[in-house]
Amino acid sequence: MTTKKFNFRLVPLILFVLLLAVLLKGLFSDPRERDSALIGKAFPQFQLPDLYDDSKQHTEKTLLNEAVLINVWGTWCITCKYELPYLAKLANEYDVKIVGLYYDQNYAPEFGQFADIPAIRVEVKDMLARLGNPYQYNILDLDRSLSLNLGVTGAPETFLVDANGIIRMHHMGDVNERIWREKLAPIWNEINQ
Amino acid sequence: MKKLTVLFSLMFFVCVANATEDQITFKSEQQKSTYLELTAELRCPKCQNQNIADSNAVVAKDMRVKVKALLDEGQDKEQVIQYMINRYGQFAHYQPPLNVATSLLWLMPIGFILFAVVLQVKRSKSKNDVNVSETGAVQLDSGQLDRELELLLESNTLDGSSVDNSSKDNKQ
Repeated sequence: MTTKKFNFRLVPLILFVLLLAVLLKGLFSDPRERDSALIGKAFPQFQLPDLYDDSKQHTEKTLLNEAVLINVWGTWCITCKYELPYLAKLANEYDVKIVGLYYDQNYAPEFGQFADIPAIRVEVKDMLARLGNPYQYNILDLDRSLSLNLGVTGAPETFLVDANGIIRMHHMGDVNERIWREKLAPIWNEINQ
Repeated sequence: MKKLTVLFSLMFFVCVANATEDQITFKSEQQKSTYLELTAELRCPKCQNQNIADSNAVVAKDMRVKVKALLDEGQDKEQVIQYMINRYGQFAHYQPPLNVATSLLWLMPIGFILFAVVLQVKRSKSKNDVNVSETGAVQLDSGQLDRELELLLESNTLDGSSVDNSSKDNKQ
């Protein structure tokens, strides 16, 4: 009789252990780590100027025919400074095609804030000369319209786009050796076989 | 004291300055209320737990501007939410839909209530059982108590005599 009866005294202990498991999991999980809504979708349409040359326009079609890493960055972004040397290494040593999407965070005409493009160009040249230049070219997303369509939350973020223009991976945060090996390289190698 | 009042008035000044940051002209009261609902319901993807109305992150500002632009285009609330979810994922909306991943979230509270009800019913039943057995025990005890009382009384008289004896001894 007594062995069959559920011991209700154990309930708080069981609840405590469950809570402990949930909290412990939370302790070691990265809250920024979440599935992007864009994986498997086509790269959104856009028409934006080159960072160095206003007359040169880039569209989603210029990205086609070759797998490419789109790196969202800005000179204002501290983490980007730490990832630039590694990206440069990827570009130079592993022949990874990297295109920059320059994300300016000041430009907001609705609030009367405009960006100083010549100053940005000087800053970019200076920074790339110091830390290494991984970019084949940079797209200037001044009003962050393409970034919004890409679900970009800030910089740095990196997209892996295949030759057909399909987004295969969206990584928020910096690309380092660990991220490249675990997250990006498997897909990169798969689509470049 | 004067310094303190100056400090407080400065604090209020700062509050007012912040409150007037976004100046948006709405087409109608209807659009304004939809905008306020949306900016409260949409979640800033950069921040951990803020809606886009509360956040000063660049992406939250951009999303607010986009919400207004989409409303100006004539899109309704659902369309704007869908627009943001298509870009930022379900994360960007504060009302998770019912699916396999979120079913725990929706079903757990119901589970807890059911568990509590079952627990309460079981408890009240077992309590009644205990009452019955207790009264039985009391009835049994009353017989025993009588006997014990008798024994006690007997021993008491013996003790009394012994005490009397000892007192006599003392007097002697």
